[in-house]
Amino acid sequence: MMFRRKLLTVFALTVFVSVAAVAGLVLAVTRPAFESMEDQRTAALVSQFQRAFKEQGAEIARRVENIANSEAAIRMTTALNANPGDTAGYFELAQSFAESHQLDFLEFVNDRGVIISSAQWPAKFGYPDNAFETLSAASGQDAFLKNEDLQDASALGLFAVRAVGIGDHPIYVIGGRRLDKTFLSTPDLPAGMRVLLYQNQAEHFSPELLLDAGAGKTSDSTRPAEKFESLIDAVRQYRQEMAAVVRWSPDQADDEIFHAIPLMGAGKNPALLAILLIGNSRRPYVELKRSIRNSALLVGGAGIVLAILLSSWAAARVTRPVEQLAAAARDVAAGNWNTVVDVPGNDEIAELANSFNRMTTELLTQKERLVQAERVAAWRELARRLAHELKNPLFPLQLTVENLLRARMQSPEQFEEVFRESSRTLLAEISNLKTIIGRFSDFSKMPHPQLQAVEVNEILRGVAQLFQAQFHADGREAITCNLELEENLAPIAADAELLHRAISNLVLNAMDAMPNGGTLTLRSRGHDGKTIMEISDTGSGLTPEECDRIFTPYYTSKQHGTGLGLAIVQSVVSDHGGTINVRSQPGKGTTFIIELRSGREALANSAAMTSENA
Amino acid sequence: MTRYVWRWLAVSSIWLMAAASAETRPHYGGVLRVMTHTVLASLDPHDDSGLDSFHQCSVMMLMYDTLVTTDASGRIQPSLASSWQSQNGNRRWQFRLRHGIKFDDDTPLTAEGAAASLRFGNSDWSVSADGDSVVIEVKDGDPELPAELALPRNAIAKRNGDGRPYGTGPFRAMEWNPGKKLTFAANDNYWAGRPFLDGVEIEMGKSFRDQLTALDLGQADLVEIAPEQLHRASLEKHHVVSSRLVELVALLFAREATSVEEKNLRAALSLSIDRGSIRSVLLQGEGQATASILPNWLSGYGFAFPADFDLARARAELEQARSAMHAIPSRTIQYDASDPLARVLAERVTLNAKDAGFSLQPTVSASADLRIVRIPLVSADPWIDLTYTALLMGSPLPRTSGSVEEMYAAEQTLLQTQQLIPLLQLPVSYGSSGNLNGLEIRLDGTVSLASAWLEGRKP
Repeated sequence: MMFRRKLLTVFALTVFVSVAAVAGLVLAVTRPAFESMEDQRTAALVSQFQRAFKEQGAEIARRVENIANSEAAIRMTTALNANPGDTAGYFELAQSFAESHQLDFLEFVNDRGVIISSAQWPAKFGYPDNAFETLSAASGQDAFLKNEDLQDASALGLFAVRAVGIGDHPIYVIGGRRLDKTFLSTPDLPAGMRVLLYQNQAEHFSPELLLDAGAGKTSDSTRPAEKFESLIDAVRQYRQEMAAVVRWSPDQADDEIFHAIPLMGAGKNPALLAILLIGNSRRPYVELKRSIRNSALLVGGAGIVLAILLSSWAAARVTRPVEQLAAAARDVAAGNWNTVVDVPGNDEIAELANSFNRMTTELLTQKERLVQAERVAAWRELARRLAHELKNPLFPLQLTVENLLRARMQSPEQFEEVFRESSRTLLAEISNLKTIIGRFSDFSKMPHPQLQAVEVNEILRGVAQLFQAQFHADGREAITCNLELEENLAPIAADAELLHRAISNLVLNAMDAMPNGGTLTLRSRGHDGKTIMEISDTGSGLTPEECDRIFTPYYTSKQHGTGLGLAIVQSVVSDHGGTINVRSQPGKGTTFIIELRSGREALANSAAMTSENA
Repeated sequence: MTRYVWRWLAVSSIWLMAAASAETRPHYGGVLRVMTHTVLASLDPHDDSGLDSFHQCSVMMLMYDTLVTTDASGRIQPSLASSWQSQNGNRRWQFRLRHGIKFDDDTPLTAEGAAASLRFGNSDWSVSADGDSVVIEVKDGDPELPAELALPRNAIAKRNGDGRPYGTGPFRAMEWNPGKKLTFAANDNYWAGRPFLDGVEIEMGKSFRDQLTALDLGQADLVEIAPEQLHRASLEKHHVVSSRLVELVALLFAREATSVEEKNLRAALSLSIDRGSIRSVLLQGEGQATASILPNWLSGYGFAFPADFDLARARAELEQARSAMHAIPSRTIQYDASDPLARVLAERVTLNAKDAGFSLQPTVSASADLRIVRIPLVSADPWIDLTYTALLMGSPLPRTSGSVEEMYAAEQTLLQTQQLIPLLQLPVSYGSSGNLNGLEIRLDGTVSLASAWLEGRKP
């Protein structure tokens, strides 16, 4: 990964983590605050309900007291004191009072607990009120909860009892209001809050006993009443206030937290008559949390984009000198030793650039020195070779001339013969000198290759054919030539003549390496877009040191070599854009491996090179 | 001077007496405003969906006439038929029609028309016209046929094919808003003389309480009064007129008791019901607790069916039933949701039954085990009422000679089926404003407005 990208990634991650940390921190801080606020809201509603209960209870007590103090009730009590059994005339009285005083329940009960008149169950006249003892004890006290038996069911109500204390036989007025949806909806509920009442009238939880003040239906498919079962069962078991979160759907916004408050009846051992469920929607909290999260994501996203832009700019500023250094290093690696990095400033990067510049300057200096030294060495080697090459023919020349002089002075009669022989020798040596000079001249005038499509196998076959006669020449051991050529090789771009010459040199070298005969193998194959030629012999082989130096001009391992043959071969191969390597083991033979580019690309390049050369 | 004074006093007295008598003398005019609880479904006298309710009968008798009618003593009197005679052991009856009677559409009443009307509602009769007479032939001798013909359901109506029946009654229907309002106008050509009232407006579907309130506020001249409100209406000084006990309130089982344990169970239920308390408290002393179908004033033997309240016996009967049935299943008791008395009665019977150990469940569902029924005794003829009740029970009575002994035996047979448990006999009561005069309650509990007139109301 590029340094700039790494830098960008680090910057972006830093911003993202920072934003996420801030968002998390905000959520962590807001959550308790919201939960506290929700608790306060719920507590306020519970308090509101308790106040409403008290107010409703006080209102019911006031109405019941008004009925007890009414003229009709007093008249009835007076009459029943005089004639306790004559209750027939008061059958509708409770209904009439209940309607006029807006009470759901109203009964007149005599001091023996017998119902005189009942609004909620008119037919029950003359029957005893089963809860009379508790009710008569509650006379004059505050309102209380009570389960009232009705014809077909029982209903929960808030009751008050007052006595019409006239004569020896008081009449008790027992009135109340039903705790139904209307009653529950009396307090104005804040948005998102609702109140339900579970009437504890069955041994086990029953959805039918759940009243919802705000809904037409207590239970529907999306909000089944069964969800309350565990909470209600817990309150029924422990008879204390509890709270639980009710999940209606996978969406947390639909969750509600319910506070369940047990509502107990009156008496010494009050029964659990109902459970008030105050629900508070978690939607505001969840939506706020989502809003914070979305804002954090939005800010974080924007921050990341901004960070990318800014960090791109910053990274560019930071990495530009580094990139310059990297580019300069590549240039140096490519051989451009004059590369200079210009990094202004005094920071570490600038210091590194200055050091780099110093290093390249030093390297250039050293290279020039080295080139100079190599040039001197080359000249010395050339001089040595020239001296060596020239010294060999010169010595016979010298001897021949001295022999001529000696013959002229000592044996004039033989001079003519000596002269002829010496002349032949001189001419031969002069020819030899010309040959030596010609080789050097050829090396200096190595022509630039004229590239064209060439079939490698044709060249190899041509060379083998050329030397066929020499492989079996008289006076030497025969050499077997094997051709291992891969057919259908792609043509390469090459100068056929130069390539032929280079391979011929290698074949000559191989023949020289096999004075006692052997096997010469010419191979061709394609590999990875390249054409590979191998010239192997089974000769004496080369030492590793010889392998290292074998392509050095004027180096030779042969007694009469100029040291230019393989240098010429390497030069030809290099001019074709290829490489040549040697693999050898002493005593086992040597293999030269030439790799040249092949196919359409090589041909295209060759065309370009040809046009350039033109 | 003294003579002058005396003359002046005499003239003044005559003038005052004349004025006073003018106020109390019937006079024409005014529209009577009536409110009813009952909702009339049809104006056709042969439509039996109204179960011969008193209100339906009253309305029918405004529009239609019968061949004969009953007077206040229950005797048969001429109406559209001026005379009649029976032959062949009461199997053939011939009624001679009055002349000059016209229907509302101004077509004359003919014997053929009357016969066609009677055939419409009585498929088992052979009814024909014979000159100006209508001849009715029945398979078995029926001495009560005139009483049967006096019932509103046998009123003579003419159908012209337009779906509207026409009558010959004192009033003709002018506006009919089914279930809500019905307006009548006086029949100026009524054969028995134009009624005093110019018209009658009937608003239906009003609760008894609303009716009383409307009467108090002067918004109605004639209202129905429920038996349970009768006492209160009397205390509040309303003008109340009541019939004799012409309505039976009873428990009617869906099926006859076939097994002994079922009979034990029903006997227990009958014994557990404290009819006395119901009468004294629910009805404020009105009506009569009863164990018989026919009221004593009609049959003369009603006392022979004592309405005992005996919880101990009820429990004993129930115990016998339980020993045979092992477990006594709960029964449902149906009541008419629009009838306040029926509801309280159902609840009270349920409470009483519970005291005996028998579980009842009040319901308004039609598919109940038993129901509270109000059976109008629409005829002054006890046999007709008994026959009607028997038909309601699904146990038609055999035709007899109509003697009291046979009637008692027939009633006893009906009661022994224990499909019907009589509870109360009630009167039909009406409250009227002070300016309504001449209101008559017939013996069958229906109202007759033929002679009614409004005082001090401009037409």
